[in-house]
Amino acid sequence: MKLLETLMNRRRFLKSTAATGAAGAAVGGFAGLSGLAPAKQAQAQAPRGQTTVTKNICAQCPARCGIDVYTTNGRVHGIYGDTGNPIANGKLCPKGHLGSYFLYDPDRFKGPMKRTNPRKGRDEDPGFVPISWDEALDTVAARMQNLRDKGESHRFAHFYGRGWGASDAGLYGDFGKLYGTPNSAIGHASMCAEGSKRAKQATDGNNSYNSYDYKNTNYILNFGASFLEAFRPYNYLMQVWGHMRSKSPMTRITTIDVRMNPTMAASDRAVYIKPGTDGAMALAIAHVMLTEGLWDKEFVGDFNDGQNRFRTGRRIPRGSFNAKWTYGLEEWWNEELKDRTPEWAESITSVPARTIIAVAREFGTTRPAMAIMERGPTAHTNGTYNGMAIHALNALSGCMFAEGGMYYQMGPSYGGLPVNADDFMDDYAKSVQGKYPRIDKARTPEWPMTAHMMQEAGPNHLKGDPYKMDTAMFFYTNPIWSAPDPKVWEEALKDVFIIDTSHFPGETAMYADIVMPDHTYLERLQDSPTYPFEGWPMAALRVPAVDPIYDTKHFGDTLIELGKRIKGPMGEFYKALNNTENVLRHRAKGFERDPGDNGVNSFESWKEKGVWYKKPYHWRQFRGEFYEWDGQGYNHLMSEEEVKAKLIKTPTGKFEFKSGFLENHADYIHREMGVPTHRVGLVQWVEPKHSGEGDLYLVSPKTPLHAEGRSGNIPHAIANHQPIVGGKTTVYLEIHPDTARARNIRNGDKVRIKSNLGSIEAYCRYMPAHRPDTLVLPMEHGHWAQGRWAKGRLPGHSGDITENVSDPISGLAAYYTGKVTVERA
Amino acid sequence: MAKWGMVIDLDKCTGCQACTTACAMENNTLPGESWQDVLYYHEGSYPSAQMKWLPRPCMQCENPSCVHVCPTRATYKDMDAGGIVFVDWNKCIGCKYCMIACPYGVRFYADEKPLLEPDLRDIFPGQKGQLWSPPYQNPEEDWTRGIGVQPKGVVSKCTFCHHKVSKAPPGTPDLDEDNPALKEYVPACVRTCAPKARYFGDLDNPDSNVNRLIGDKHGVRLKDSSGNKPQVYYLGAGAGVPAFQPKPRS
Repeated sequence: MKLLETLMNRRRFLKSTAATGAAGAAVGGFAGLSGLAPAKQAQAQAPRGQTTVTKNICAQCPARCGIDVYTTNGRVHGIYGDTGNPIANGKLCPKGHLGSYFLYDPDRFKGPMKRTNPRKGRDEDPGFVPISWDEALDTVAARMQNLRDKGESHRFAHFYGRGWGASDAGLYGDFGKLYGTPNSAIGHASMCAEGSKRAKQATDGNNSYNSYDYKNTNYILNFGASFLEAFRPYNYLMQVWGHMRSKSPMTRITTIDVRMNPTMAASDRAVYIKPGTDGAMALAIAHVMLTEGLWDKEFVGDFNDGQNRFRTGRRIPRGSFNAKWTYGLEEWWNEELKDRTPEWAESITSVPARTIIAVAREFGTTRPAMAIMERGPTAHTNGTYNGMAIHALNALSGCMFAEGGMYYQMGPSYGGLPVNADDFMDDYAKSVQGKYPRIDKARTPEWPMTAHMMQEAGPNHLKGDPYKMDTAMFFYTNPIWSAPDPKVWEEALKDVFIIDTSHFPGETAMYADIVMPDHTYLERLQDSPTYPFEGWPMAALRVPAVDPIYDTKHFGDTLIELGKRIKGPMGEFYKALNNTENVLRHRAKGFERDPGDNGVNSFESWKEKGVWYKKPYHWRQFRGEFYEWDGQGYNHLMSEEEVKAKLIKTPTGKFEFKSGFLENHADYIHREMGVPTHRVGLVQWVEPKHSGEGDLYLVSPKTPLHAEGRSGNIPHAIANHQPIVGGKTTVYLEIHPDTARARNIRNGDKVRIKSNLGSIEAYCRYMPAHRPDTLVLPMEHGHWAQGRWAKGRLPGHSGDITENVSDPISGLAAYYTGKVTVERA
Repeated sequence: MAKWGMVIDLDKCTGCQACTTACAMENNTLPGESWQDVLYYHEGSYPSAQMKWLPRPCMQCENPSCVHVCPTRATYKDMDAGGIVFVDWNKCIGCKYCMIACPYGVRFYADEKPLLEPDLRDIFPGQKGQLWSPPYQNPEEDWTRGIGVQPKGVVSKCTFCHHKVSKAPPGTPDLDEDNPALKEYVPACVRTCAPKARYFGDLDNPDSNVNRLIGDKHGVRLKDSSGNKPQVYYLGAGAGVPAFQPKPRS
């Protein structure tokens, strides 16, 4: 019957469309509707308009891949990697292709709006009504002016997540200075990956992620960096994976993680580890490297007499080791490392001692060899110490600044702005400088070593400590959903005047009093200096593929327009700045003096090529000596002072196994973590503190299709999100069958995951490849806003059961440290 | 005429599904209508489990079962187009015999209950006879070859991106996306493959890189015993489909 119906429908369809076929082809550019015509005629290609290709940068993760955007007849219909972009090299990850969907998202905000319902909450309809841009800007500016007139400008706060460059987040610093708020802006770093940065600051003095020379490395020891899922730049990592796995000699890769995943599966060796204990394994690897004499003597140094005196459990005499580019090795060994045996580590990590020894010998005997990490080991209360132990292996292997090793990123040769904010500060702006702490208390005695503490801002506001916010403006961040324990934020932001600049209806937007929607990335003119990549400088540019299709505004221009409306010199500054295109034109002037390798030497050529870059990286450590590029080669032998100034920026100018940075905060670390003050500087094992009384760990990884802020509402992303256990319409809680059966949970059952904060529900799938003590729930769904596909889609959001606990040193939210229980729902 | 073939190196494939989404956007398929899907398998248990994956395009068989069973000759192998197997949407009656006959499960019928609600077909309703009309659709369309957005009631499948490869200069042995002069002619899944696990070229040309790879790395064809003789070859470990195992209920 069904077949007959189909046939009938098909015939009726052909009949009804035959008449419109020719006309359709002529006006709409559609051929092939001539179903009844001979096939040969139908093969003729449809007439189509001119296809243009514009340069842009994908905005779905921090990687900043250059993209070619294909537009025909004013419609964007294709996105491919830009062949001329050194990150993309013509390639993309699975997210990149879905970008056209952002532009034509049916749930997009189509223009500025104001709220009519004063009540705020999950179940409150904001009652948005459209307003003009002038009304929106005037309303916000008047509010800001009023605060300033009352001497309360510190109660205005900017929050941002993914800032791109000089034309948006780069404007914040001046804005805060001129307006008079310490809260411009509160970044999301502490809810992102701040732990690895702090671990590097504590050991080699660089408060930064690393750049990596993957192409030339022969060994990667990967601690919890989802190299083939979410580590950045994911697209490039896959490219270089293909290279590493087919070059001669093939790069050997050991992955240490708490769960099975594509990176584990594709590596030569998959090592399962108990959550939060990576530092213990790294220390044991270091122990083996030292006792077996596998450290890089040219970088680290050696015993005065060349005899290896590292014996398990035995101290080495003071002064017996002649350090080269490292500091504190003797004390590190004597006070910590001598007892950190593989057997000890097995008892902490559950990794067999024989595996640790095998990994240490491989890592210690292969050059170049690097140890990488990201949020896995660092999103715990002991995250910085875990990260330091891992990073110490890069000193022992001698890969710091070496070919096939790791570097730090250089910045682009940008020109200056046409005006200097310092010249436009009025007496008020000067009088409030440094007067108030930030609302998140970052860089206060409460969080002295942090850069940002966004997760604290909501709770602090609720307590009124250090004060209450009046107005908050959000750009590319949604803490009311993504912060740990977000229900606190839901309460906190009820009495704050909220401005959201997102172009889609996220949770924070549901609290907005004014919505000032940004363009989508395919409509923006926006710069983007690279995230740490290969070290040499690069800055890409977004060029609009089409004119904005709705009444939206570039966030940078929204900021500038607000600035213009503030009375006094601040307004004059922004009138002089004019708009973001002017900012970018001035930045691009720097390229006139320093043309890129691809010939980019002006704003126009930057727009045409989409990227400026200049190789090579300027420094190279070779066999224990540092050399600087002199234009021809690595010919300049650097002094110790030069190395300290440019590369190893620690107090000693050496890679510190005993951290001066941490010792400067010894009392704080002792108070918060219980580490004796005389030991705080050592790279060492510190037990993680798990929140919750549950018997299972819960991790919430990001999958390859996790597009920042949006994949929960992209149909094609939802459909492909978690293929490993069959997720085609949602994601599942992955649970070891033994763990499930012990709780009478059947494969596919709806389950309840509980922490001290409450519970969320999910459907489960058996996954025998995971640790029985660890539940895996990809972070994606559980939205109560965000669009028609996202809203209300199970499972619940992992954040709802994640306590707001942070590493006291880095401030990184300990997203993976909560312990939970699970039961049938 | 070339005989187009694809080579997929499973030792380099990272299972990211960029091929799947590149294909979906290039060919405007619906969620779940994954002409180029990636299948995942896991076997064994912690701490010695394995996980693997298999990207699966249409095999463009030399001896395609789907063609043999089609009652209206809508599906056909076009030797003038490199041996690609097409569906002529003007002739297809949506009977799905081909879907049953295909040993590889790479044919799709999207005119049914949607995988994902809300239904994209309601949000971007079909115009001019299309099943749905996404605003970002590719202007390329040729219903005699199953290119573009299909009408209601037909089977759809991978076309090896015929609308791209057919424009390549005749006699090109390999369509290599790293060659800027050729990248626009490369199938979407091959062009975007970041670890370069995919290669596309002429199987009739002994000098082509695809033939060299098949020779050097002992390329295999899936389910060769079926006699379908795919024009897609796999390299590396794990080039097989594990036997079906029902999922444990409890």
